[in-house]
Amino acid sequence: MDLVDVMMEKGFLGQDFLTWLWYKSEERGGTVYLPEAGDIQLVFEKHMLLEYGEGESHEKVICQGLQAELKEARTGLAMGKKIEQARILLTRDNYEWRLTLKGSLLELKSVRLPKTMTSTEESDDPAAMEGRILDRISMFELVHRTIDELFRAFLQVRLGPDWQTDIAKIRVWVNKGRPA
Amino acid sequence: MGLFSSSASFVRYAVEGELPENFWDFAAGQIARYSFRDIDDSYEEQSMGWVSVHNMFDSSFEYSSYAVGDYLVLSLRIDERKVSKAALKKFCLKEEERIKKERQIPRLNRSQRLEIKENMKLMLTKRAVPIPSVYDLCWNLSEGTLLFFSTNKKAQALLEDYFKETFGLYLVLQVPYLTAMHLVGPDEQNILADLKPEIFV
Repeated sequence: MDLVDVMMEKGFLGQDFLTWLWYKSEERGGTVYLPEAGDIQLVFEKHMLLEYGEGESHEKVICQGLQAELKEARTGLAMGKKIEQARILLTRDNYEWRLTLKGSLLELKSVRLPKTMTSTEESDDPAAMEGRILDRISMFELVHRTIDELFRAFLQVRLGPDWQTDIAKIRVWVNKGRPA
Repeated sequence: MGLFSSSASFVRYAVEGELPENFWDFAAGQIARYSFRDIDDSYEEQSMGWVSVHNMFDSSFEYSSYAVGDYLVLSLRIDERKVSKAALKKFCLKEEERIKKERQIPRLNRSQRLEIKENMKLMLTKRAVPIPSVYDLCWNLSEGTLLFFSTNKKAQALLEDYFKETFGLYLVLQVPYLTAMHLVGPDEQNILADLKPEIFV
């Protein structure tokens, strides 16, 4: 399969990951356990994009609201829509990132890094500039590695023998979002 | 939206191929060869090349190096003279009218109209100011990964070609399926290859 075919045929993998991640986040009140890092904080914030169908029947729904009020998104999920994009607050090792995760391509958009340097370290001498670049790169790599670790945790469940047990629980959670 | 922006967007690539021996010497030569050349004082339509992440005017890396620890950090600068479709259409119609009046003919044939279009495009391109776009990247040499700070598909395609031209190495965009293949073991890879979308309701 070439890259275009992979993107077309397997784009669902990232979207399914986002649905699982939202469920995992809500299961423990915004905390997700990672074998590599222990408990990290992961909260789905006020912006979410859901998709449904392909080609001419393709639909998009943008949901915005406070964290506790992503009701429309929950309803969309219960109607069979897939999460294509979600705004996430992620905290690990006392560092806090805000980012938008795009499901089908696992792109990280509008990433806001934690503040790690004081203003005195932000001078223009070469050593300080190199330090600043390395600091920013490490923060970009750490957030990407965290997403990879979460994705690995999802894959272990998704491809493992207990997936049917897990999907049953997720379906109960999804169906709670149906309008009464 | 780059490496130093308060809000950055990026994708990750795997760098495929063997790094040459004496990599930093090789990189120095290639980056100099493929560095950005200014087209402000010429009529060229497009120019593309490497500049410092700190300063888009620093294509000789006088003020800051691209070598940062075990990373190679660069910006890809693309300057392009763009002609708007509406402006091109207007000037073509104006020139067609002028020629018809001058020659006292009711209409122009297809080849005449095409020639006018070519000439007008050239004239407007020469008049246009080159518009710069700058995209940062950071290449982790030990892990063979590269972060590219743009989610624009056209910019990604230009980077992939220019990176191959400069370093002789291929960039493979890490979409979820390829990332997944790296993250799981051989048995799970087989399951993954046949996996279908899940129904969550």
